[in-house]
Amino acid sequence: MITAVKTEFERIGRSVRSVFWGRRAQKAKLLVIGRNVSDGLIAKLIIYLLLSIVAYLYLQPILYMVSTMFKTMSDLLDPTVKWIPREVTWENVTKAIKGLQYPEALRNTSLIAVTCSLVQVVVCAMTGYALARLSVPFKGLITALIILTFLIPPQVIIIPLYVIFSKMGLLNSLFVFLIPAIFGQGLKGALFILIFRQFFRSQPPSLEEAAKLDGASTARLFFGIMLPLARSACLVVFLFSFIWYWNMYYEPSMFLAKGFTPLSIRLDMLEEVLNPTLLGNTRTITNPITEGTKMAAAFLIILPPILIFMLLQRWFVSGIERTGIVE
Amino acid sequence: MNAKARRRVERLYQGKKYGVGLLFMLPWIIGFCLFVAIPIGWSLFMTFNKVQVSVGGFKYEWIGMRNYRDAFLKDNVFPIELITYFQEMLLMVPIIVIFALLISLMLNQKFPGRFIYRALFFLPVIFATGQVLSELFLQGAGDIPFLEQYNLLPIVEEYVGAQFAGTVMDILGKAVLILWYSGVQILIFIAGFQTISPTIYEAVRIDGASPWDSFWKITLPACVPFISLNVLYTIIDLFTFPLNPVLAHVRDNMFKVDTGYGYASALAWIYFAFIFVLIALVLWLFNRSLKTRRAHS
Repeated sequence: MITAVKTEFERIGRSVRSVFWGRRAQKAKLLVIGRNVSDGLIAKLIIYLLLSIVAYLYLQPILYMVSTMFKTMSDLLDPTVKWIPREVTWENVTKAIKGLQYPEALRNTSLIAVTCSLVQVVVCAMTGYALARLSVPFKGLITALIILTFLIPPQVIIIPLYVIFSKMGLLNSLFVFLIPAIFGQGLKGALFILIFRQFFRSQPPSLEEAAKLDGASTARLFFGIMLPLARSACLVVFLFSFIWYWNMYYEPSMFLAKGFTPLSIRLDMLEEVLNPTLLGNTRTITNPITEGTKMAAAFLIILPPILIFMLLQRWFVSGIERTGIVE
Repeated sequence: MNAKARRRVERLYQGKKYGVGLLFMLPWIIGFCLFVAIPIGWSLFMTFNKVQVSVGGFKYEWIGMRNYRDAFLKDNVFPIELITYFQEMLLMVPIIVIFALLISLMLNQKFPGRFIYRALFFLPVIFATGQVLSELFLQGAGDIPFLEQYNLLPIVEEYVGAQFAGTVMDILGKAVLILWYSGVQILIFIAGFQTISPTIYEAVRIDGASPWDSFWKITLPACVPFISLNVLYTIIDLFTFPLNPVLAHVRDNMFKVDTGYGYASALAWIYFAFIFVLIALVLWLFNRSLKTRRAHS
């Protein structure tokens, strides 16, 4: 009797175990926990959750920007209205367009960003190629100097630069940024040179050898083969350069204060434009009345680069992976 | 062909080679002399002078090291701001780099929709520089919501002591904006992970290593160069942090009559020297860790 019960229990136990440890259960377990950490459902859920939380924190200021720019005056002053405005108004946007002198400032900023970035791609690629493949005297020293130019804070050299530019008659024009870019000293140019140097180094030399055997000159080899080959690196450099030129503030605040004013400077002056009575140090004052307009202005400024980034995003991320920037 | 002629041909070849290389480097060399070397020398010269703006240009009055001495002894804002900023930076750099590492680890996993998330995390790079950022910060858009809801200050004070509590709270207040500064770092890490061959992971898995082990034993050691690159990039990036009080102080002094360009340049040079020492230290540390690792393996 007892042994019969025992065997019965054992059989139940075995069947229970087989439910948990059977092949199908194994499969389910694999699905939930996974072979690698990243394969399982649990891990995926956790990743989604964490990323979404952080993404929310990341996006919160942008959401704040968008929601504030559509608020009416009464909504701005009412602390109970936090995210969703009671009625949507376009007044802030029109005010911001007027206050920024948007069409003109947009033209200036895009002219600077596009021309300087294009020039920078070509010049930095040339310099990077020379450092990677051609024989240049004192190569080590030059590389060290390039890194030095990257490290020097702009504040150290801004005053002498101002004097030099004013002697050359470049101030308050596009050329104050274009001329340095032509000579390889554009915004963060050192970084781009190093990126290109890294890229050209990682290419197999056989291509160049073949071209040389066919009698191509170095210039032809570079512009005909190497530069097109470096398409992904070019795109990465162009986009970074474009964004940094678009957003730069310190240099134009010195060099473009009296003409050819870009968007970033106009944003800085917006408070004074909106509130002519507030003289003096307006930068530290938060004024709830002008907040909507300022947020609209900020949004108008970041809109073009965001659109461009969205268009090129696919190529951009894969470009960075393929460039071998980090090696 | 005798040896002499061969040498001559070789020299000609060498000259030609150097010629092409120099031609490619020429724009940069001219630019460096004109827009970097001369300004650096000039600004260094200014720091030893009292510079006054007169009608025809600058008027220099040699005062030796006085600007540097004044910066530490007379100026009652600059040393304090410098120290506070360095404290903040020493906290911010690890936060940014570790945060970027974690996020990029997650983004590196394969899951549907990761392209959207990748794009999302790069988005801040577009506007995390310059005026838009300080405008947002001014409006308090970068606060973490729970900071106001729970009174955190006493807790922080209890754990890190009263004198650092202010710094910690400052950083918590800027947290979102600091995290915005990790866009480029995340990209560097993601690109870095691509250089680790997936077969290694396969091999250790077959040998019975758990994912936890393989992270500590493979991913992290392989990432040391990228971590050092990111630390350096972050330090340099924080130079030009728009909310940097030291740079604001430099700018203020530029246009004061009694201090002027000479003094402002001296401040900028001191700041640069501090950063330079910090960067050299980081480089040295990482180089040493790389060397010991190579010696072990």
